[in-house]
Amino acid sequence: MDQVVDIADVKVSSNPGCTLVTYSLGSCIGVTVWDPEVRVGGMIHYMLPDSSLSKEKAVANPAMFADLGIPKLFRAAYELGATKKRMVVKVAGGSQLLDDAGTFNIGKRNYVMLRKIFWKNGVLIDAEDVGGNISRTVRLDVGTGRVTVRSQGQEVEL
Amino acid sequence: MTTIAEIVAQVKALPALPDTALKLMKAVGDPRSSVDDIVEAVRYDQVVTADVLRLCNSAYFGLSRKITSLSDAMVCLGTSRVLQLVMSVHTNSLLARPQEGYGLAPGLLWKHSVAVALASSAISTILKLPSAAMAFTAGLLHDIGKVVLSNHVSREFEEIMRLVTERKVSFGEAEQEILGYSHAEVGAQIAEKWSLPETIVRCIRFHHTPHDAHPADPLVDAVHIGDCVCLLLGIGIGEDGLSYRADGAVMERCGLREADLERIGLEVTMELQRVQALFAQGTTDAVGTGAR
Repeated sequence: MDQVVDIADVKVSSNPGCTLVTYSLGSCIGVTVWDPEVRVGGMIHYMLPDSSLSKEKAVANPAMFADLGIPKLFRAAYELGATKKRMVVKVAGGSQLLDDAGTFNIGKRNYVMLRKIFWKNGVLIDAEDVGGNISRTVRLDVGTGRVTVRSQGQEVEL
Repeated sequence: MTTIAEIVAQVKALPALPDTALKLMKAVGDPRSSVDDIVEAVRYDQVVTADVLRLCNSAYFGLSRKITSLSDAMVCLGTSRVLQLVMSVHTNSLLARPQEGYGLAPGLLWKHSVAVALASSAISTILKLPSAAMAFTAGLLHDIGKVVLSNHVSREFEEIMRLVTERKVSFGEAEQEILGYSHAEVGAQIAEKWSLPETIVRCIRFHHTPHDAHPADPLVDAVHIGDCVCLLLGIGIGEDGLSYRADGAVMERCGLREADLERIGLEVTMELQRVQALFAQGTTDAVGTGAR
């Protein structure tokens, strides 16, 4: 059963028959977490790096922003019994336009913020597929922990 | 028949834009037009009138009393709001179809178009341009060329992508090279065929290449930036992905910064969710959710 993670959304599951999926990641970033022992998986699709942009929107929609959304994803997974040291973490998205001036680099800033948060919290990235000029669809099979990235008609395992 | 001749023939064969939409766009493009002119343009089209009234009375607007006429709707919601609704209703049937060449599932091109319309109109307000409704309409129609070009892109997709990946050209530049036309140029020709205001034709033609618009046109800039924001956020994007050029000079010219883009992206995402909910409940047309 597919459960869709919308833009600015976090979902976790311990149902082995569930696949978490998020569509068309551009400059946004999708992070998947999975604990192989308790078979708990989670996913976020965040849009922007920093909630200081709009405090008021951040209250209503923390998953819009990396700085509030990523901790929310981890906390939600812990609540289902996952632990940080067992967690397998995969990252996809952060694409860019063809942008010589570098004015529209939301994707890059999204990724830098993610690295900063992970570094501060001692989280290692197990696999990633970031950057480029493509749109990505990411799936996490909660039963097996398998993560796939689909882009331009091709699907690869991450 | 060559590909170019085929494309030209297809543009010619496209159905005319409904009379109501055309009159409306002319009214919007003319600064002298009044609310009455706009009501006049719509009132004889019962289908559009009924759709607009149904949408105005939906929970989305949360009005305390029932809207029973178009002029009533304009008074309560503002002319520009009503215009946006009418244009969105009009383009829904045309843009909601799947565009396989671009890998767009049903509803996705319409979703992208509405998002760019919202973004362009938000930017035009920031830039204090005279008509937010014009920016909305230009944004709504910017990718109309994809409707005609989709089949051709489908046939040559691998060749187009080869240019994009090997030579680092944009998807539009590759379309131009392989098919003889980009979707922006085809769109501009469709708009010309429909006799849309010149400003809208220019916005469609130059939405990926604003530096080619001479003289520079702030409305073209608004649509370019609006499109870039929506591509970045992945709203209704297809297999062409983000393979388009972003023109940094435009940002400078408009005095916009990165934080402004992020703020616009935020607003558009939230507003789009509301518009989609509105259309899902307010009209009989199903609107795609972005699933592919």
